[in-house]
Amino acid sequence: MDSILSELNATFPARKQQIAQLYNLFGQKNDLLVDAVYIFGCTSTGKTSLVRGLLEKVHVKHCIVNLVECYSTKVFLEKILNILAGHSIDPSNPCPYAKCENAMDFIEHLKKFSCSTGLDSVVFVLDKAENLRSMDHNLLPIFMSLRKLTGIEISTILISELPFEKFYGYAHYDPIKVFFPQYTKDELMEILARDYPYFKEVLAKDFPSVDFLSVDFFRAYLNVFLSVFYRTCRDLSELRHNARLNFVPYCDPIFQKNCNPNDSMALWRFIAPTLKSCLEVLYLRIANTTDTIRDDKQPLNLMSSKENLAQTLELPFYAKYLLIAAYLASYNSPKDDKRLFVKYHGKKRKSKRDMSQKNKVSEQLNTQLGPKAFNLDRLIAIFYSILDEKVGLTHNLLVQVTTLVELQLLLLVSENAGIDVYKYKCNVGYDFIENVSRMVGFNIRKYLITDFN
Amino acid sequence: MENCGRQIKQALKKKILRGIDIGGYVKERKIIFELLKRSIDNGESNSALLIGQRGSGKTTLVNNIIEELQNDISFEENCLLVRLNGLIHTDDKLALKSITIQMNLDNAVDGKVFGSFAENLAFLLACLKAGKKDISKSVIFILEEFDLFCAHHNQTLLYNLFDISQNAQTSVCVLGITCRLDVIELFEKRVKSRFSHRQIFIFMENNLDHRINCILNYLQISKNDTSLNKNVIKNWNNHLLVITEDKNFKNLMQRLLDIDLTERSLKTILISVVSQLSPQNPKLKVEMFQEQMKEFERDDTVAILGSLSALELCLLIAMKHHVEIYDNQAFNFEMIYTRYMKFVGANSNVQAVPRPVVMKAFEHIQNIELIAPCSNTTFKLQKDYQPFRLHLTSDQIMDAVKNVPHLPTELVQWANSSLV
Repeated sequence: MDSILSELNATFPARKQQIAQLYNLFGQKNDLLVDAVYIFGCTSTGKTSLVRGLLEKVHVKHCIVNLVECYSTKVFLEKILNILAGHSIDPSNPCPYAKCENAMDFIEHLKKFSCSTGLDSVVFVLDKAENLRSMDHNLLPIFMSLRKLTGIEISTILISELPFEKFYGYAHYDPIKVFFPQYTKDELMEILARDYPYFKEVLAKDFPSVDFLSVDFFRAYLNVFLSVFYRTCRDLSELRHNARLNFVPYCDPIFQKNCNPNDSMALWRFIAPTLKSCLEVLYLRIANTTDTIRDDKQPLNLMSSKENLAQTLELPFYAKYLLIAAYLASYNSPKDDKRLFVKYHGKKRKSKRDMSQKNKVSEQLNTQLGPKAFNLDRLIAIFYSILDEKVGLTHNLLVQVTTLVELQLLLLVSENAGIDVYKYKCNVGYDFIENVSRMVGFNIRKYLITDFN
Repeated sequence: MENCGRQIKQALKKKILRGIDIGGYVKERKIIFELLKRSIDNGESNSALLIGQRGSGKTTLVNNIIEELQNDISFEENCLLVRLNGLIHTDDKLALKSITIQMNLDNAVDGKVFGSFAENLAFLLACLKAGKKDISKSVIFILEEFDLFCAHHNQTLLYNLFDISQNAQTSVCVLGITCRLDVIELFEKRVKSRFSHRQIFIFMENNLDHRINCILNYLQISKNDTSLNKNVIKNWNNHLLVITEDKNFKNLMQRLLDIDLTERSLKTILISVVSQLSPQNPKLKVEMFQEQMKEFERDDTVAILGSLSALELCLLIAMKHHVEIYDNQAFNFEMIYTRYMKFVGANSNVQAVPRPVVMKAFEHIQNIELIAPCSNTTFKLQKDYQPFRLHLTSDQIMDAVKNVPHLPTELVQWANSSLV
């Protein structure tokens, strides 16, 4: 039994307490099981893999079900029965082991199982258990007391990212809770350092000699890497992905004979910009990154995705102007229209209201509260006043408004009304619109009042 | 020796997890027992409701009574037990199906077509009658999560059960178990008038001595539980007595009693403690209880906050300031981002993070439900401007900031004062 514990501790570093806790509850075969255990902790803290590892090691019959896959009661219950029966679904004739529409059928099936196959102790593991809350109201309480309801030795492990208080009102009692804390920086370092053989292999594929690659060198790299990433991200799988992405560029200067493997300062100078730009696309996993990595000669050019989108989205000329007009209509109040768009608007007297406007706290500014709705007339009026050339108001122009709505660049606010009463909102951010206006050579800052200056 | 330890552990686990002993509730037990007994022996019809808080031991009480009744040889002959659960039998059709199965009447019903629900139920009961009235079996219905049956369409099942229990043709005893005190109010009028209005309330005892007795009950080992050596049992029980006399232990149990009266929380703690027993530490210790109590009192939300990255904590602190300044008004991403950028701008050694990454951190906070969108937003809005509310108190955030090691000092300072 101690061998199981030490094996688990070796596979899952920094999880000693949790392993001991779970082992105490599920470790002994033929032991009585508790009704339910709730495991919680942030993503990639090893919740599911540890439970899987433990249950496999101690040879307890178990089925692991992810609630994201099982979107309805029927699918969920049938999946569990499939796993229990060892029934694999034939793609040409996708037919479950047994039809099971509701909890009563499910419980009958379980009882039948226990009679026919001597099902004596089972553990159901429900991953992403928070989804149970939006399913049938009786599922969570039933799964938390299956033993009582079936008379079979069944225990349920719920795995979720949320604290259990988010289940109040759905569950009937508090189960035993096991908390998985996030790894600390040192622990992350230890875990990432285990990938050393993999990194060596990757590097050996691309470059002829990798003698300089020692454990210490690798740790120095991780240190540099974590110093940039740790503050924004503690998610192990994301960190691991990025560590793999950046290792080849890190070693690159050595092969270019630009610097020496021991000169960590120089290496840092080379890698810093790459790491920074990589930080910008954290979690985004833009598909072409792997291509840029392969192309060693080019420096990493991972510009922010927004800019890319604005450049790649090829709108017609007038549509661009319509979008700009929509942006102006959304973020300027109609009262300022005259001053902005009419050539001879006369002098504006400063009123008391303007003074108080200036003293507004930032949380009440338009930029903070989001776009305001406007109607089609105002959009067209602004469009004509910012466009230098004359263009007729044809249906071609009006169709482009609809296109913008379809592209979700404009939002329709009031639905099912005639075209005259339609209201729109602009659905793009400032960075986006600035890019678009730069493309058509329009200075948008000039037309935005107060907030952006 | 190791074997001994295992046996003790198993015996205790069995007692805690599977035991149906109840301490207390003597009066209530007697009432229900007599009620069931009368309907079994004399063929009386009855209905009653057993009402008590969740985890107060209602089901255990009923199980305990039924077990005693089943010890009687005539039980099988005289009565049929039908158990329904509101969670499982979510509509009357399912309930009826289950009743049929539990009465072993599947064959009799097979192929018959019934006009109405009542007809069906009446047929089932008629099947039980073996000619004369006094030979017919009495049926005991135990309905758990009784309040859920009230939500069924027209309350047909309840109406019919109570109706049968009113006219004395078949002897039927209906015992509902529920945690809702207002369950009578859920009845329709015609159902209410057929109910006997016999309600049995059970209240948990708030008394330390009783609690200690309970614990002794769970943790003491008697000869019947195991085949262990007498000396081992004696040693164990003596040691247990020493622990329960301990002043710290008593304080702990008093505190638990002050927080939660239910026996379920006690059982959770006991089972966690018992499952820690191993050859390396074969004896219970007060510290083990202390540790479990600490875990019981831990604020899970603060624990989750401790797992967040510095950036995510920054955003939470910004939200905390916003909520404090604007008196719990909703906020959107844009406002929080501006506040965060102000903080970054004021502190040169804080790394600025690009907007999409901040957005991602914001979404992560939303995913773990520390913030939630205001419900009154039916119209579509850009993600950045959607209003949110904070589902944390500022104390929780402050606790988390205190507990997370290696946070930048600027961040801690900012958490303490909103001035940057």
